[in-house]
Amino acid sequence: MSPTFIGISGIIIMILMFLTRMPVAFVMASVGFVGFSCVISPDAGLVLLSRNIYETFDSYDLTTIPLFILMGQLGFNSGISKRLYDAGYKFMGSVRGGLAMATVTACTAFGAVCGSSPATAATMATVGLPEMKRYGYDDELATGSVASGGGIGMIMPPSVVLIIYGILTEQSIGALFVAGIFPALLVTLLFIVCIYIRCRISPEQGPPGERFAWSEKLKALLGLGETLVVFTLVIGGIFIGLFTPTEAAALGAFFMLVIALVRRQITWQGFVKSLMETLRTSCMVLMLIAGAVIFGKFLAVTRIPFEIAGWVSGLEMSPVLVMGVIIGIYFIGGCFMDALAFVTLTVPIFFPVVMELGFDPIWFGIIIVMVTEMGVITPPVGINVYVVYGVAKNVLKEEIPLEKIFKGIFPFLIAVIVGVIILITFPSIILFLPNLMY
Amino acid sequence: MKMIFTMLDRFSGFLKLIGGVALTCMMLLTVVDVIGRFFKHPIFGSVELIGFLATIVVAAALPYTYKVEGHVGVEILVRLLSQKAQICIDIFTRTLSLILFSLVSWQMFLYAEDIQRTGEVSMNLEFPIYYLVYLLAFGMLIFSVIIFETIVHDIKKLRELKTK
Repeated sequence: MSPTFIGISGIIIMILMFLTRMPVAFVMASVGFVGFSCVISPDAGLVLLSRNIYETFDSYDLTTIPLFILMGQLGFNSGISKRLYDAGYKFMGSVRGGLAMATVTACTAFGAVCGSSPATAATMATVGLPEMKRYGYDDELATGSVASGGGIGMIMPPSVVLIIYGILTEQSIGALFVAGIFPALLVTLLFIVCIYIRCRISPEQGPPGERFAWSEKLKALLGLGETLVVFTLVIGGIFIGLFTPTEAAALGAFFMLVIALVRRQITWQGFVKSLMETLRTSCMVLMLIAGAVIFGKFLAVTRIPFEIAGWVSGLEMSPVLVMGVIIGIYFIGGCFMDALAFVTLTVPIFFPVVMELGFDPIWFGIIIVMVTEMGVITPPVGINVYVVYGVAKNVLKEEIPLEKIFKGIFPFLIAVIVGVIILITFPSIILFLPNLMY
Repeated sequence: MKMIFTMLDRFSGFLKLIGGVALTCMMLLTVVDVIGRFFKHPIFGSVELIGFLATIVVAAALPYTYKVEGHVGVEILVRLLSQKAQICIDIFTRTLSLILFSLVSWQMFLYAEDIQRTGEVSMNLEFPIYYLVYLLAFGMLIFSVIIFETIVHDIKKLRELKTK
């Protein structure tokens, strides 16, 4: 059996095993281990298994992940989301659809301290949905804006997906982080435009709320203070090279805790809950990476990624067309699989191809995060939709049908697609900040 | 059997606690290190220590994460099947996971023994790494036992379905 044949069989078996709902991380590790043993030797496979898992867990780069997750969790359990929302609300609430715009903006702001998209969606849904309900907002618009806005949390640094991309492709996490800022702001702007157009067409969807005096608006702005301080410290510190991402994450989490303690907004239970939630999520993420690393080693010995890369570059197709196909695969894959899992799985396969075609690695990282972000809000596996559905059930005490949420998301999906096209046409939106770093 | 499982439950709760403490230490250690650096007194070997703590965090969180079904999987197809079929598939995949992590644990113990013999130590602190690998191997062992426990539970559920 040739290594290529084993490789292709391995990929097929892996896809079949995914369908059994066995954890993605375990499937990748099992297939990687068995495949590697077939190509090299069972002894080598066993050694691969133990060394790689140990090295993944012990890696300094990966220590960023639990610390950033902790920072987001502390933000979640200390009520900053409410203040962020309040600021957006005081400024935009009086416009038609203004509450939805405030929600989206608050999602971006919360994304600046939280690295995960479902967490952002859950946080803002808890705060935003009851308010929008109170002002008679249409359920579709309300849930759609929260679920889609949560997706911005994934692009806005810190972002767990970008950390993982950086580690798998050996790119600077700092560069990826600063590269994500402008695309995140672009998407926010597009979402606001999208809400504006929507409420122009059917004004009953988002009736205007009350107007606030400037003194009140300015007071609400103070609520942004701590988020701004933490974000500037964390991302700014990485940008000018003052801290490593791990140090920045630890400082960010620590400041978040101090702020919450000073404001007396976190209880002992809240702190413990943040820790436990962080343990669970970090363990899940690190297992995924360990699985992807083992699977990646197997793929590397089958030489499949290099063969594909060679084959694609031999096709003499235009690179933009190939990129289009890759983006299509990410979009479809993202519909069926968790974004994080899909990125860890596919980056080892596609990255050599993309490099061969001469694209920028940082640019590609941001693009795939954008595309998989669409995945988190599209059926059948749009995780944000389920999160918002669950929160609506708990907070509003009423069931909003899933179809309604998906329908509400559709216009935002178009906005993301427009965003991706803009970023492909003008790569400098992504690249000019990271280029300033060196 | 039941007593073993209750003990196991308590133990994985204890591990969770250790994980939480290690996570907090990770944060505090880094903060102190950074502040110390500004005053020209960084903590020696902090990078290594943080790596060690991260290993403890994950090793301790493994059983807990599995228990609360924290790992992501693809649910679309299985959801459509009958409850009985779902449990059967779960038993099958859990058995595969059990085999995988028993192997990992076994290999990890061998690896630990190996580096204990060669006396490998960490670069700066010269800390014998094998302690850590033993710890991880032990975490994997507990994790495997937890997977076994869920299989037993699943079989019980399947029996109950049959008698109904």
